[in-house]
Amino acid sequence: MNGADEHRMDDGGDALLAAEYVLGVLPAEARKDVAARIEADAGFRALVGEWERTLSPLNADYAHVPPPASAKAAIDRRLFAAATASSRKPSLWNSLAFWRGLAVAALASLAVIFILPFFVEPEPGPARYVAAMQADASPVRYVALYQAGTGSIDLTRLAGEPAAGRDFELWLIEGGNAPRSLGLLPDSGPARITLPPSLASRLSGGATLAISDEPVGGSPTGAPTGAVLALGELRGI
Amino acid sequence: MDGLEDGISELIVRTGLKDRSAFDRLYAATSPKLFGICLRVLNDRGEAEDALQEIYVRIWMKAHLFAVSAHSPIAWLAAIARNHCIDRLRARKAPSRPVEEVVDLADEAPGPERLAVAASEGRRIDACMEELEEARAEAVRSAYVMGYSYDELAERHGVPLNTMRTWLRRSLMKLKECLER
Repeated sequence: MNGADEHRMDDGGDALLAAEYVLGVLPAEARKDVAARIEADAGFRALVGEWERTLSPLNADYAHVPPPASAKAAIDRRLFAAATASSRKPSLWNSLAFWRGLAVAALASLAVIFILPFFVEPEPGPARYVAAMQADASPVRYVALYQAGTGSIDLTRLAGEPAAGRDFELWLIEGGNAPRSLGLLPDSGPARITLPPSLASRLSGGATLAISDEPVGGSPTGAPTGAVLALGELRGI
Repeated sequence: MDGLEDGISELIVRTGLKDRSAFDRLYAATSPKLFGICLRVLNDRGEAEDALQEIYVRIWMKAHLFAVSAHSPIAWLAAIARNHCIDRLRARKAPSRPVEEVVDLADEAPGPERLAVAASEGRRIDACMEELEEARAEAVRSAYVMGYSYDELAERHGVPLNTMRTWLRRSLMKLKECLER
């Protein structure tokens, strides 16, 4: 009955439209229009975030009700079954996880073909690992090469750069430990980071590299404070 | 309270880094709150369970977008839950809520959490709500908590749709002014 246009034309404009969306009173079509705008328009997204904070004390009216145990099992099946099933079942063609994996593998093999020759001596040596780093809704793409022999990580940026007044910070996640900062990435050119031997020795068991958006000079807390712009698992090559 | 918020923030950040054990702990810590939202808005246990699944699938996929510096963790999670439940509600062909069901929030005794929150931020919004006319404050609160649409609110309060829209918009602006004082 009411499109978002009607709501936007009235007095008050964007701030009111954002408030009405957060309050939840808009009809279905208008909510769809506003949701699309939130995706596309950072300024409008910030207005919605402000109203979410403003009205959030009203969340205290909701009771705490433990959900049935079956709910978490169903969530895990939806999120993680594809990953475990594709190793069991032969129907790889239909597996989303397989095709996602293939896309990552394609990016990683590009890295091997184009980037590896610059860094790696040809003779067989200690293990090497590659991570193709990306995240949904983020333009940032990096490829990382980790060489166990030297404990060095070489990073090449394929796409994306920090916003004005922001820095990219690199994080290592291994085991169940908290993300560990590996420092800021330079604004341009490749980066090489050398891990201390105590850390390097733990990486063979699998690790993930991630890049977060941080204030200039890096996270003030020692843990990531901004959005994760790219991440990727180190895979042996 | 801050310690709890910091703990939830950390779990969301680590979920954004695809740490499944952090996701499990985040679910354990927050699912009763989010399930409470689903039940209240959808008023249907089966649908609330479906909604809860969808909400945590989204949380897993969107957690990397969470920024500690920009978001309150509980408000961020509750917004994902409320948005999904309200979208489901609006997509229903016919309202499954009986129209005569009257939920008078003003008469409901505040739960322990509401009392605890009232000690800090909540006290400000409650004080600001009191500056609004009673019927309008009730309309704002029930719209937020129950997910009522403009149409439903107009019917419940027996006023034309445009009047309800004007009420709510003025109330929201007053509320914001009051909270910013």
